[in-house]
Amino acid sequence: MAAATTPITKSIHVEAHDAHVDGHETYAERLRMNRLGMWLFFISEAFLFGALLATRFYLWGNTRADTNQTVGLIITSVLLLSSAAMYTADVAAEHGQWKVFSVASWVTMILGVVFFLGVVIFEWGLFPQIYKGDLTPWGDKYGAVVFAMTGMHALHVVSGIVLIFIMWRLARKKHFTAERHWGIEAAAIYWHYVDVVWIFFYPALYLIGTVVHH
Amino acid sequence: MGHYRTGILVVLVLAVMTVVEFAIALATQSVVFLMLIAAAKAILVIWFFMHVKRLWAPEGSH
Repeated sequence: MAAATTPITKSIHVEAHDAHVDGHETYAERLRMNRLGMWLFFISEAFLFGALLATRFYLWGNTRADTNQTVGLIITSVLLLSSAAMYTADVAAEHGQWKVFSVASWVTMILGVVFFLGVVIFEWGLFPQIYKGDLTPWGDKYGAVVFAMTGMHALHVVSGIVLIFIMWRLARKKHFTAERHWGIEAAAIYWHYVDVVWIFFYPALYLIGTVVHH
Repeated sequence: MGHYRTGILVVLVLAVMTVVEFAIALATQSVVFLMLIAAAKAILVIWFFMHVKRLWAPEGSH
């Protein structure tokens, strides 16, 4: 029996044809899948960072390491400003303002490097000629947790900087348009995710609990 | 400048919340308050900067 063609079935056929032009996904479909994949990745990452946060509360309880409050507030502010710069870059790309995108991307990368150096110099004490830190990853539970949490976060900061640099290079080569720039959007939301993680790490490492001197 | 207004506003709110967070830590040391503020800040970033609502937007545009 031949299927009757009604306006509704005709419309469904037209939409299906539009969605799968010659068996290929449309950009809109791919964009949806990319976004979903990215958020699933964020959820999987949340388990990792959640475990680190749980470790902190299990091992430290209502105490904390003698971390530098001023440094904590400054690097937190730097990361917040970098998020603002990344938002500017993302919105600029959406509106085809590529000069603004370029400047905002570089501001984000520079602030990311400043954040990273703040952690490396003042928390890890890797450059004792500048600042002599008293925490070591093998010293005690305080050092171990600080290094594990800031280390894993710093790894994401560095990968975020690399990702933003790649997107900046691709944008220079006219790889993106105002209508199609998933790579930039992905780099931006990844960077904001790194900020979200720090939003929870900051009070856990610097604010909650009484200081234990060692 | 109009395109960036929301972002500027959100950043200002986040900055104020960070200062409040710091002040609460100095004054009360309340874990619950501090984690609630952190959660509120995270929601702001996820909603306005990470555009989580685009996940269920009908059109596949940026």
